[in-house]
Amino acid sequence: MITKEEVSKIAKLAKLSVDENEIEQLSEDMSRIIEFADSINNVVETADVEFENINNISNAFNEDIVLDSYDRDEILKNREGGENGYFVIRKSLRG
Amino acid sequence: MSRIKYLQKLLEAKEISCVELTKKYLNNIEKQNKTINAYVNVTAEEAVKTAKKVDERIAAGEKLMPLEGIPMSLKDNISTKNIETTCCSKMLQGYYPIYDATVCEILKNQNSVLLGKTNMDEFAMGSSCESSIFGATLNPHNTDYVAGGSSGGAAASVAGNMAAFGLGSDTGGSIRQPASFCGLVGFKPTYGTISRYGVVAYASSLDQVGAITDSVEDAAIVYDALSIYDSKDSTSIGSKISTLDKLNNSIKGLKIGIAEEFFGGISEDIKSSLEEAIKGYQDAGAEIVHFEVPNLHAVLPVYLIISCAEASSNLGKFDGIRYGYKTDSYKDIDEMICKNRSEGFGKEVQRRMLLGTYVLSSGYYDAYYKKAQNLRYSIIQDFKKIFESCDVILTPSVPVTAYKKGEALIDPIKTYMTDICTVPANIAGLPAISVPCGFDRNKMPIGMQLIGNSFEDYKVLNAAYQYEKQTKKTSKTSPCLKKTDETSPCPEVEI
Repeated sequence: MITKEEVSKIAKLAKLSVDENEIEQLSEDMSRIIEFADSINNVVETADVEFENINNISNAFNEDIVLDSYDRDEILKNREGGENGYFVIRKSLRG
Repeated sequence: MSRIKYLQKLLEAKEISCVELTKKYLNNIEKQNKTINAYVNVTAEEAVKTAKKVDERIAAGEKLMPLEGIPMSLKDNISTKNIETTCCSKMLQGYYPIYDATVCEILKNQNSVLLGKTNMDEFAMGSSCESSIFGATLNPHNTDYVAGGSSGGAAASVAGNMAAFGLGSDTGGSIRQPASFCGLVGFKPTYGTISRYGVVAYASSLDQVGAITDSVEDAAIVYDALSIYDSKDSTSIGSKISTLDKLNNSIKGLKIGIAEEFFGGISEDIKSSLEEAIKGYQDAGAEIVHFEVPNLHAVLPVYLIISCAEASSNLGKFDGIRYGYKTDSYKDIDEMICKNRSEGFGKEVQRRMLLGTYVLSSGYYDAYYKKAQNLRYSIIQDFKKIFESCDVILTPSVPVTAYKKGEALIDPIKTYMTDICTVPANIAGLPAISVPCGFDRNKMPIGMQLIGNSFEDYKVLNAAYQYEKQTKKTSKTSPCLKKTDETSPCPEVEI
């Protein structure tokens, strides 16, 4: 059972703002789904080996060489209102 | 002859120009997309530009590359430079990537003709394409039904003859299930063979890119073109085997594994279609081997835990600051990020992120995430063992045929359960294909799935091709082929 308090706590961790009137429904839905997920705890697993990656590949390291990067102005096209290579958000620090 | 080969033959013989062919497809989109809703963005201008380039090369006597001049679609989670890529979410509306996904780059280098971006469940989270902000994609076989998901737009674009092939992504069945619902071939290759670079991640250890086509031969052609090692994807391996060359291998003595567990709860129609297919294989000299999957009942909860955990981590980057949805009013930066995310993401995406955050949070990590990872290891070992005694596994692709509109949304857990046949291949990184296998009593397509061992994609495609050839089901199941007159490559289909 996931309580309403837990839903609020998880939402905070996930950086989501959940409406007060949605919490009850979310708590019910998530409890049902977690109950389903809980069924894995009935399985006596055969090995205590944690999965790492599918094809057992090890890390690949690139040579440390400088390559061209993307153009800053091009990147900033996805955020309106920017100038001089910066993007703008509303003032959020109070002096 | 497969669709891709047929179109290239026409182009090379100059029976049709690439611009004419492209315009025929664009006309078909214009006519049908209002009803089917396969495309969320049609890139007509770009398409004609590429087609002109192809025509110039043909005029200069150049030999066509394997996918050159072929009109195709890309799922809207595949990054396309300067072409809006939304994942069908409010969060990414207005987002124009500044680079191409590797698969898109390969197709561009081959002069494949991109017709547009296809509809999907928001961030690929769903089985019916109904969580898209652009609304559901309907099934070209019957518009009372959905096309499936999450790559529903990709499937409908091919089934509705609005593309010769479509690329999708498959995290738990998102290529195979809509292919099954739309009477097409859907191939999810071995994890690592096709680059994921530039494909917006849902669950990185499960996601794979693959094609939806109307024949197995086309699936092999697309796979061979795309399975190239990519240094930009840390899990990329690629493949050097030409699966197309191996399609005609004999299947005499091929060991086909069958587990009763996959056949539980399926309808009589699906059961009898599959039994007929199994008999066909036996007649062709294949051997049937029975086996059990010890941890099959754990596969879905393991999938749920791992996919949600990875989603909550992957989607953490969407804060709406540098790009993406931006809220109107906020008090401070924390509220801004929370509001950007809550207003930008849909309900299903938020629910999966919350579940993922829960199973990763302190106090629950061991009971859920760690336990699921241990079980995933065990499941992979189980499949390794199974493939010691058989070459491919045969199952239904989905225990049901296409959902009616709205049906999949009524009970999410019931809908998750229908992924039981497709999810194991993602959990274990195996290649798996869905091929058309007849129709149910409502005239909706049935799919048969073949799963192979890692890096034995060629065996899966060979076995599927031999079935397709023997039954000649393609001509009956694909609505576009059904109405294709050999002289007209892209007829104006009325569906």
